[in-house]
Amino acid sequence: MNALVILAAILFLLMTLVGGKKGIRSFLALFFNFAVIFMIIFFMNDPNINPVILTIIASTVISCINLFYINKVNNTTIPAFISSIISIVILLLLIIILTEKAMIQGFGEEEIEELSIFSLYIGIDFTKIAASVIIMSTIGAVTDTAIAVSSPMREIHFHHPAISRKDLFTSGLSIGKDILGTSTNTLFFAFFGGYLALLIWFKDLSYSAGEIVNSKIFSAEMITLLCAGIGVTMVIPITSWITALYLLKKEEKTIFQEK
Amino acid sequence: MYNNIECTIHNAIFIIVGGFRLNFIIEKYKTITRKQFFLSLILVISFIVSVIFVHHNYSFYDRPIAEVIKTELKNTTDVMDIYDNKDQLFTQHIIAKIKNGDNKGQLVHLTNEYSTSKAYDQEFQVGQNVFVSIDQSNEHTYLTGTIKDVKRDTYVVLVAWIFAFILLIVGRKQGFFSMISLIINAVLLSYALDIYLNNPEWNLIIICSIAVLLFTVISLLLVNGLNEKTYAAIIATILGTFLSLLISYLVIWLTSEEGLRYEELQFITRPYQMVFMAGLFIGSLGAIMDVAITMSSSIFELYEKNNNIPLKALKKSGMEIGKDIMGTMTNILFFAYISGSIPMLILYLKNHSPLGYTLSMNLSLELARALAGGIGIVITIPIGLYTAIFFVNRKRGRI
Repeated sequence: MNALVILAAILFLLMTLVGGKKGIRSFLALFFNFAVIFMIIFFMNDPNINPVILTIIASTVISCINLFYINKVNNTTIPAFISSIISIVILLLLIIILTEKAMIQGFGEEEIEELSIFSLYIGIDFTKIAASVIIMSTIGAVTDTAIAVSSPMREIHFHHPAISRKDLFTSGLSIGKDILGTSTNTLFFAFFGGYLALLIWFKDLSYSAGEIVNSKIFSAEMITLLCAGIGVTMVIPITSWITALYLLKKEEKTIFQEK
Repeated sequence: MYNNIECTIHNAIFIIVGGFRLNFIIEKYKTITRKQFFLSLILVISFIVSVIFVHHNYSFYDRPIAEVIKTELKNTTDVMDIYDNKDQLFTQHIIAKIKNGDNKGQLVHLTNEYSTSKAYDQEFQVGQNVFVSIDQSNEHTYLTGTIKDVKRDTYVVLVAWIFAFILLIVGRKQGFFSMISLIINAVLLSYALDIYLNNPEWNLIIICSIAVLLFTVISLLLVNGLNEKTYAAIIATILGTFLSLLISYLVIWLTSEEGLRYEELQFITRPYQMVFMAGLFIGSLGAIMDVAITMSSSIFELYEKNNNIPLKALKKSGMEIGKDIMGTMTNILFFAYISGSIPMLILYLKNHSPLGYTLSMNLSLELARALAGGIGIVITIPIGLYTAIFFVNRKRGRI
């Protein structure tokens, strides 16, 4: 039997047992997300389509799946969705400048030997692909943080309906501070787990610190990890502000309608 | 005098964030204490010093570094490979000034070839720093050489500082502690790998297990402080990580690794299965910690709001919270692992590799990592719930 199929079956079973219907939806969301990644890879194969625009579309679809499909459309997911998209766009601006300047696109000299059978002149701009990769690695963490901030904010607003927008924003920010440490940790360990082999390689071949920092693969990984960290941190004040604005605007509207 | 400086900083910050609605931060700034002021000052100074350092650290490198001062496009050719992919090749003539070593200050002439796809080449612009090798002898009156690599340390340092500043502005004290915990964990990981490399006969999984215990205790204590919430989370994390490692190990062993393409594992200098398992182990740790602390803080929060809350209600709310975080948490790992393969997948597909082969070659290990991490996340939800309830019961028993 295929190990991947068994692992997927175990995950499905656990998610159903622990999460019930929502667990099944969460599992299906993984599949849909996989389909989205698959689709954009296909579109990226066309040199005439700009990968950056594709990435923005894909991020929107993925945020919809992660927020609206798993959690339904409600007062928590709508502001979380808006904030995720705003953060992704701001992050994208930073990343595009960085990938062009730091030249972390494509493949490093450590990988090039095994790629010798391939033609590298394929007419696709790898600089834009690199920007897209960084955004795609971050999107899961950004939507997770956005919903983790906006969901308790709704509870606070529900229990204290008279709360001012500023106080609601402040409490959103303090919730965000509490999850900041663990969110950055999640990303940190995920990246280092994935690149453990690379770290051992650097140490085995006794690369100097200067060689490691300047090598394409390591600097690309570090920049991805740091950008993911920036995204996760940046989404906290943005979500707090938008959720506060959204919840109070909505309240005004309902009061107005009742009158 | 300090008031003056504070005032200037205050104004500067006000201008920077100007239209941005960050009134909150500015208001906090008014009540700044002297200690905070000095901490910020130290931070700003170390930022300036480190940025100046990475822009002038040429003499610390043995390899010659040159700054591009003039580029000229020599010629352009259209190429088409055997799969009908159209591309353009450019030849660039570069004059660069050597920044270190014996030839410091001299000009060197370089030629650079690049393509529009830039998969393994790049276009250089004036002002960029490159590592070069200088030809020993040539018939010209000037130096010639070849470009080896780009100097990227300036960008890595810059992004690291952007991250640090955003972390501190948003997270303040907690941001500072998360930064410290990231640095300690990085040093610890590097140290653990050193131990492994010096004692290759030791089992990497065992070294990683010890490292995982330390990572968990340090990160959770630093981020959440010394309290029962943290103890419950530490125990749940350790149980969750080891149980998920056991499950993944059993599955991989029972299926005799079918479906896993270890050929794809790059940069291998050591037994690859062990390296892969250790990576899987460490990779899921962060997410499991995240779930464990979320479960234990929410259970304790519920208990503290109402000390007489029945056990059944605690369990029910705990499960609800678990359901809420399950989906997005598994997605974090999924995207963090899968996205890195995008450039390789495009290269394979553009070279007309069969789809099934391309996917299994490039995604099998990433999917295994994401799935194993997902199992860890889901399994930690009930584990975290029951450890937290155990600690709550103990607390109740004492009162």
